[in-house]
Amino acid sequence: MSFFGFDATLPKDGGHAANAPGFGQTPDAFAGLGGGALDDGDAIDFEETYDGLGDRLDETDDAFNDDTFGSGPATQQAVGRDFDFAGQTSKIADTMHEEQMLYQARQAPPKRQPPIPQASKPARTGYESYHNPEYIPQLEARADIWGLKPKQNDAPLRQPEPVAPAPAAPVAARKMMSLDEVEAMMRSHTMQESFAPGPAQPFQLPAMQQQQELAYNQPQYPGTPPQYAPQILQRPQQQAHPGARQTQQHQQQQPQVHVELPGHSVQAQPSHAPTILQRPRSNQSDPHSQPRQAAQQQANQRPSSQPRQILQNPNRLSGHGQPIAQQGQRGPLPGHNRGPSFPGMVITHPEQLLHLSEEERVAFLEEDAKRAKRNHKIAMLSKDNGLMTPQDKNFITRIQLQQLMAATGNLEDQGSEAALAEDFYFQVFSQIRGAPRQTPHQPANQFAQTYLFQNNGRFGQGRRQGRGGDNHMQRMEQQVQRAVEAAKAKPKSKQLVIEGSLGKISFSNSKTPRPLLNIKRGDTGDKPQTKPHKSSIADRKEALRNIEKVYIILMHLEDHERALPPPINENSDPEEIQRHMEWRSKVEALHKKLWEGIKIMEPINPHASSPHPFIAMLSHGKGKKAIPRIFRHIDDQERLTVVTMIVVHLDNLAVVSHALASPDEPMSAAMREEVALFSQTVMPPLFGLISESPLSNVVGLVGLVLARTNLHVVARSQIGMSLLTILISRAELLKESTPDINIVDWEHWTEQYNQLFNSVEPVLPLLFPGSVNDTDDMYVWQFLAAMGVGASPEQQQRLVIGVKDRVMETVTVSKVLPPEMASARLANVNLFMRAIGLDVELLG
Amino acid sequence: MLFFSFFKTLVEHEITVELKNEVCIRGTLKSVDQYLNIKLDNATTTDESRWPHLIACKDMFIRGSVVRYVHLPPGIVDTNLLEDATRREAEAAKAKAK
Repeated sequence: MSFFGFDATLPKDGGHAANAPGFGQTPDAFAGLGGGALDDGDAIDFEETYDGLGDRLDETDDAFNDDTFGSGPATQQAVGRDFDFAGQTSKIADTMHEEQMLYQARQAPPKRQPPIPQASKPARTGYESYHNPEYIPQLEARADIWGLKPKQNDAPLRQPEPVAPAPAAPVAARKMMSLDEVEAMMRSHTMQESFAPGPAQPFQLPAMQQQQELAYNQPQYPGTPPQYAPQILQRPQQQAHPGARQTQQHQQQQPQVHVELPGHSVQAQPSHAPTILQRPRSNQSDPHSQPRQAAQQQANQRPSSQPRQILQNPNRLSGHGQPIAQQGQRGPLPGHNRGPSFPGMVITHPEQLLHLSEEERVAFLEEDAKRAKRNHKIAMLSKDNGLMTPQDKNFITRIQLQQLMAATGNLEDQGSEAALAEDFYFQVFSQIRGAPRQTPHQPANQFAQTYLFQNNGRFGQGRRQGRGGDNHMQRMEQQVQRAVEAAKAKPKSKQLVIEGSLGKISFSNSKTPRPLLNIKRGDTGDKPQTKPHKSSIADRKEALRNIEKVYIILMHLEDHERALPPPINENSDPEEIQRHMEWRSKVEALHKKLWEGIKIMEPINPHASSPHPFIAMLSHGKGKKAIPRIFRHIDDQERLTVVTMIVVHLDNLAVVSHALASPDEPMSAAMREEVALFSQTVMPPLFGLISESPLSNVVGLVGLVLARTNLHVVARSQIGMSLLTILISRAELLKESTPDINIVDWEHWTEQYNQLFNSVEPVLPLLFPGSVNDTDDMYVWQFLAAMGVGASPEQQQRLVIGVKDRVMETVTVSKVLPPEMASARLANVNLFMRAIGLDVELLG
Repeated sequence: MLFFSFFKTLVEHEITVELKNEVCIRGTLKSVDQYLNIKLDNATTTDESRWPHLIACKDMFIRGSVVRYVHLPPGIVDTNLLEDATRREAEAAKAKAK
């Protein structure tokens, strides 16, 4: 196997020359050797060459010949190998190569990886021609390393034909050469190729390659690790681009050349940094793939080869230097190897820079700094690139979004409740008055609706006192007016008669004394009733406590209302329905509690010293204020119960019994406020209920007033009068709007009305609380108008007689008043006048 | 929290702050915190002859602990709501005490 072994056993040149045309045909050489041993005579005429020296040998002294030369003919096997160091070395060459590769692998593990895919390509493409069964099972990397050996073995298979007619020169060159000789020859070849590529080149190629390989192989053992890699890496190129062979040659030559002449060639350098330079080199080989251009390019590159040489210093780990020098040719460097290459650049700078000219150095440093910065930045950015798949990212995003939703959802749920508990006043105030939003934790819409509804709704709380009161008054006024209009529209023909009878009414003045008696009776009956109403301290405290309890229940109810679960339908899941059921049952419980809390079902004891608990609650301001809120939470039947309770105890109410004013002793300011508060808080709900109730309810309520209360007291108080106005006007409206009304009911009502009229008639002159100059008499005129609408002509006459003085006085007074006030007062009077078919204008 | 909550609704309204050293300052309430520290804008003393050293002060930060009274415009106090808020506060306090 070894050349040295071959040389040692076959001293004769001729035999080898004749039989072995090519260097790769070592088996021939062995064959020749074997031939020489077995049938020497066939090949050489023994007699011709025999010099007769043998005859002079002393045969007797051959006793120790065997000891000296061995007993058999000199075969390769027979000859002692003790001296065959190269042969010995070759035996362990495998191990050495492995060690070297191992060393390389350990030295630069990251660099090893890229070539492997590249090397795998040659296994498919590059080695077909070299294929030898014994190399198939070997690792690819090792096959590459041993690439030279198969060549030698395969040479006979491939080369006998082309080589046989080869000129003598290559054959001669094939002879053993010293290292110097080989190098010199290679240099000359390089020059030749560079300057005169010509058609001869393909011819030379096979031999050249072998020589190169031989020369190349020898330094391998001493250990120049980087040189294996080029072999690996260039194989594919060789196969892929047949035209690039020239380049290959150069590249293969260069390592050796480089030893003596650094910077001789550009292409040589990549071989020292196979991994990273692989890509640039393949790029480089592309232009060279046209043999025509190759030499030219090389020649052109020569001038720039010096800087490039430096840039492509074997120690360099990256091909970054190349882009600088060759940017014009290649454009910017692809970015994929930036990361790993970066450290290498830094290390090798100083020595490289020594060889640079000043401008180049500056340019390079600048460029390098820029690139380094960019690379660093990209490296930082792309440090964790590819750690997560898009699916991973989507998954994480989903989780984050869910958490965000959950967090904000909780924030809203808990936030508003917590804010409400802690910051009730501010939160509700902000909602109602539209104060600037200062916190993101605004109350939920439901809360706002609840409170807005409570405050501005149908039973508007008295909070916005002026407006609430106005609203109520306006509505009552409207109702009365509607009643008046309706009455006016119908009995128009009658009115003419009545109109004409105005004078007659004045005739019946004689009846006026009668009411005075009635008033006295009323007064006497009034006094004793007010006395026991002075509740004891215990009663008062009890009432206040009851009120507070009611308020607490109310707030619980309202809080609970705010927690109303979403409405359910057939598709709702059971849990939701369950929650709804729980909510409902809790509402029921709270409602029951509230109903008990207001003590309205306490038995009515007409002879009790202390008033009914519910009525006692109404004697306090906050008790009155609770009524509209209570009304929101109770059903219509319960509301009617409340109204009935109030009506039954009408003359027991402080605002009625204590609010009897006369021009001589006007109401106290406190009582005024009480009355105002009552009319703003309690009256609207009552009005709301009555204005929707059927005639039977109205009749019943009026009956209760007549039966259970002192009508003289009721009729003289603002509250009582308003309530009566509401009841009467409602009845009148029902009469007008429903012609087919139940006759029985209607007769009932007429009866009630007559009774009421008779009761009220005596106090007609006393209805007005103040003097003529007192402007607060609208409710009286409303009451009179309501009475007048339903009155029979005879009753109307009595009505007019009762208040005639007041009418005349008011008209007189209004003449001296400013126009606005005058018109307001006249409008009040006119309300009544028109109810009975008259007009103030007639009086003017 | 009730007072804090209440004072928050007075923000941007003109109030008069009477301090424990009898200094009286009128100004627009800009903000109030949980210690009832008060920040006033356009502040003026009600009697400049008495506290001339405060004439130059236009914006003030008053530590809550030195305030004796705060005079409010009555129109911006919702008494019913305040009653309810007070009831809630009392109820919460009672529930905590248990």
